[in-house]
Amino acid sequence: MDRAVSTSWWSRAWQANAPGYLFLLPWFIGFFGLTIGPIITSFYLSFTNFDLLTAPEWVGADNYVRMFTNDPKFLASMRVTLFFVIFSVPLKLAFALGVALLLNRGMRGLPLYRALFYLPSLLGASVAIAILWRQLFAGDGLVNDFLAIFGIQGPSWISNPRYSLWTLIVLSIWQFGSPMIIFLAGLRQIPQDMYEAASLDGASKSRMFWKITLPLLTPVVFFNAIIQTIEAFKSFTPAFIISGGTGNPINSTLFYTLYLYQEAFEFFRMGYASALAWFLLLLVALFTAFSFLTSKYWVHYDD
Amino acid sequence: MTIDAPSLTVVTEDSAGRRLRRSVGSVAAHALLIGASILMLYPLLWLLSASFRPENEIFSGTSIWPSSWSLDAYFRGWSGLQISFSVFFINSFLISILSVIGNLIACSLAAFAFARVQFRGRKFWFAMMLMTLMLPGQVTLIPQYVLFRSMGWVDTILPLVAPKFLAVDGFFIFLMVQFFRGIPKELDEAAMMDGCSWWRIYWKIMLPLSMPVLATAAIFTFIWTWDDFFAPLIYLNNMQQYTVMLGLRTFTDSTGESDFGGLFAMSVLSIVPIFLFFLIFQRLLIEGIATTGMKR
Repeated sequence: MDRAVSTSWWSRAWQANAPGYLFLLPWFIGFFGLTIGPIITSFYLSFTNFDLLTAPEWVGADNYVRMFTNDPKFLASMRVTLFFVIFSVPLKLAFALGVALLLNRGMRGLPLYRALFYLPSLLGASVAIAILWRQLFAGDGLVNDFLAIFGIQGPSWISNPRYSLWTLIVLSIWQFGSPMIIFLAGLRQIPQDMYEAASLDGASKSRMFWKITLPLLTPVVFFNAIIQTIEAFKSFTPAFIISGGTGNPINSTLFYTLYLYQEAFEFFRMGYASALAWFLLLLVALFTAFSFLTSKYWVHYDD
Repeated sequence: MTIDAPSLTVVTEDSAGRRLRRSVGSVAAHALLIGASILMLYPLLWLLSASFRPENEIFSGTSIWPSSWSLDAYFRGWSGLQISFSVFFINSFLISILSVIGNLIACSLAAFAFARVQFRGRKFWFAMMLMTLMLPGQVTLIPQYVLFRSMGWVDTILPLVAPKFLAVDGFFIFLMVQFFRGIPKELDEAAMMDGCSWWRIYWKIMLPLSMPVLATAAIFTFIWTWDDFFAPLIYLNNMQQYTVMLGLRTFTDSTGESDFGGLFAMSVLSIVPIFLFFLIFQRLLIEGIATTGMKR
């Protein structure tokens, strides 16, 4: 009797759940084999010395200790990356929002403008664009040719450590197209009658922006800020191409991901690189958690 | 809400002035936007024109109109490395197309399960999938490399392509789930009544109705794979297997300093496929971003 019940429970559970799990089978293999497994493994490797050829050697927390006490390059890469994130993300979002607001006035030719502004962000991650950028900001590049028209002798932006990181920030801002499209979609969600009511009450344009547009747009701002920040942390190709894989001049473009790449695939210090990766994961997780926790104080939700 | 009479008359009296101000404002806005578009696209146009210039004219000022046109740089660049760019283009196309196929199959299967099929733990696994979207790839990079190396996959395209058949690009699962949820449930309920299996519902109802989202996923997969630099950099060391992006990088390292024309010409060619997608499927791309908030 008991057994009969249990078999039927099993077969019912199987019948109810098997299809879902079968459809998910490829995803499950990928999730456990290529995501969860590797995350755990890299956590283990971060406590070892590992050169890929001999077995990992347990060294405890040495890698993490070294990062903070005895590795100027780590600190440099941290500084470069944070500087990049702090300046590129807000500027990019400001441009995206500004242009979206302009376009949202019911401009004629909106689809054309939108497409033109979007093009750079579609192409931007490509190696070709990094090559172009290196040329634009070279000593004899296009930017200095322009400045020369006004009699200004520009420096070699790329090879001057004071400006090199800024060329990458400009490259990132240049790709404001996709957050702009998301802002445009968000702006269209704002009910028009709110503005009509406000304008009948005599509210000025700027007041309407601060009191209606921006508060109602905060969910989109929040979303864009998170996505762009995580992307900025992960940025790799432009710095690699522009500095020829070195992060120079004087480590001024040594992005965190670039440093990690060097440690792992040039010096084969896989254990140390794993520790770097885990620290990056921690940073991204902390940032995300912090954003979500503070979001209730500034992100406006309808319900 | 009530509107009092005086303020209404003020509005009508003011309307002519208002219209004028509006049109001045709109001219100013257009001027601003046109200026910004030119500023933004100028570098691209310059690159294009530089690739058509004779070698000695490449760095002759800010103009984007060459005094004479020449295709020399394209021929030089195409065979500027030991291995010709035809090989790199074939490799890039192969990797991109296989990735598209993998993503379409694996992500749509997973998305169908998350959007439609009832099973225990669905919410939990969906949340796990969303978590992977936030994950920086670096944290899985080294163990994946060790794994693929132990399987003898380094220096083949398998590490770049095989993961796509395991739905590792959660972003597209998310994109498809959003779309599938918009398809009326009555359709699969009716099919269920008629004795259709989940598989038939997926294959005969869901997929045919989901062409827009499948196309969007296919285009973005193609573009992102085409553009990808990091994975090929790590897994492909043999020049015979290089993608276009790796070819370009080698070009900058070796001959780039002497042959800027060739480098620029190959740079232009490397973005032509993406640009074509942009021209043809612009609407789909922009809608895809607007509805899901894609990063690029």
